[in-house]
Amino acid sequence: MDDSDAKKFQKDLNGGLVSLVLLAVLDRSPEDLYGYEIAKRLASAHDGALIFKEGTIYPVLRALSAGGLLTSRIVPSYSGPPRRYYRITDPGRAVLAEWKAIWQSTRGFVDRFIE
Amino acid sequence: MNRSAPRSIDQYLRQLREELAGEDPALIQDALYDAEEYLRAEVAAHPEKSEADILEIIASTYGAPDEVAAAYRETETKVRAAMTTPLAKAPESAAGRFFSVYSDPRAYTALFFMILSLATGIIYFTFTVVGLSMSAGLAVLIVGVPFFLLFIGIARVISLAEGRLIEAMTGVRMPRRPPHPGAPAGFWSRVAAMLTDRRTWSTLLYLVLMLPLGIAYFVIAVVGLTVSMSLIFAPLVGLAGRLGILFAVDHVHMHVSPEWLDTVWALPLLFAAGVLLLTLLMHLSRAIGRLHAAYAKALLVTRG
Repeated sequence: MDDSDAKKFQKDLNGGLVSLVLLAVLDRSPEDLYGYEIAKRLASAHDGALIFKEGTIYPVLRALSAGGLLTSRIVPSYSGPPRRYYRITDPGRAVLAEWKAIWQSTRGFVDRFIE
Repeated sequence: MNRSAPRSIDQYLRQLREELAGEDPALIQDALYDAEEYLRAEVAAHPEKSEADILEIIASTYGAPDEVAAAYRETETKVRAAMTTPLAKAPESAAGRFFSVYSDPRAYTALFFMILSLATGIIYFTFTVVGLSMSAGLAVLIVGVPFFLLFIGIARVISLAEGRLIEAMTGVRMPRRPPHPGAPAGFWSRVAAMLTDRRTWSTLLYLVLMLPLGIAYFVIAVVGLTVSMSLIFAPLVGLAGRLGILFAVDHVHMHVSPEWLDTVWALPLLFAAGVLLLTLLMHLSRAIGRLHAAYAKALLVTRG
């Protein structure tokens, strides 16, 4: 019971955070990245313990791309189906800056009560 | 989840497909594509481990099929809500509902699609007929097989592009990724699977049928537009003629029968008939857009 409550809370929190993190990762990366690479970058940054499943980033990448915040291109691969490489767009950077500010002020607000 | 954990990539993809049963076929195609990209990359990145070993930990990294399916469902709902312009509230009165079609962007894009479909229809038809007949002719030669495979490959790319066009024009969800290639297998068994896949043939059928359909759509759109537009502007011409302003275009011959249509009183009626016809055309295009999207989905996306 406790476990599933914790999971639900984490999931509710993740709603917009996954998008924010993906935009930030693609903003910092000098080259285009594909889904698996992004997933592995996130996993290694957090000692392999992700707060969300790697599978959940793919639909978010697609949604960001559909919203014009990312562009993508397809490159053939030897290991499986062709890979889709993503890159952040200028509107994506603008949104990222806005979301960063929102996240920082939200975090400051929440911390004031729980610390 | 009481189902046994998947032990291979194929099992994983099959379970994911089962979890997504009932969802939009286009969404299923995208989800399977993404999952396969990840799983195959993971296997390739750890050559020392077996596929079964990697699949064992996949539920804690990529996520179990049911979790992944849930993520796609949720994102899809959110994106659809965010991306589609909220429908204007339907007016209460019957007349308001009838004319509200002018505020629906789908009606305009569907009309545009109908006009465009003559061009795409000609291209698709030519491509398919030339490709099929050349494949048949080259079949006895060694280049016959690669030529046919290339032809089918291009047909699949066209089908994906047509899907994107239809989604842009009608708003009906179509695949954003190419179809999932299926289980890894030898070259010849892949060729055999492709030849027995119903979708290969239904795609070719769609491309051939686009010509007659495109002609019909084009005729409906162009005839509907010209007739309604000339009715709408007929009163202007009639009035100008009566006032003697039309001298500059004296080569315009107006043949009006029956006689009563040539009276001043008929002019507002002509205008009303034109507006009515144009509105009906907008309704018709919107309906054709929806029907065509459903038809395209049946032939291009649904798996046999």
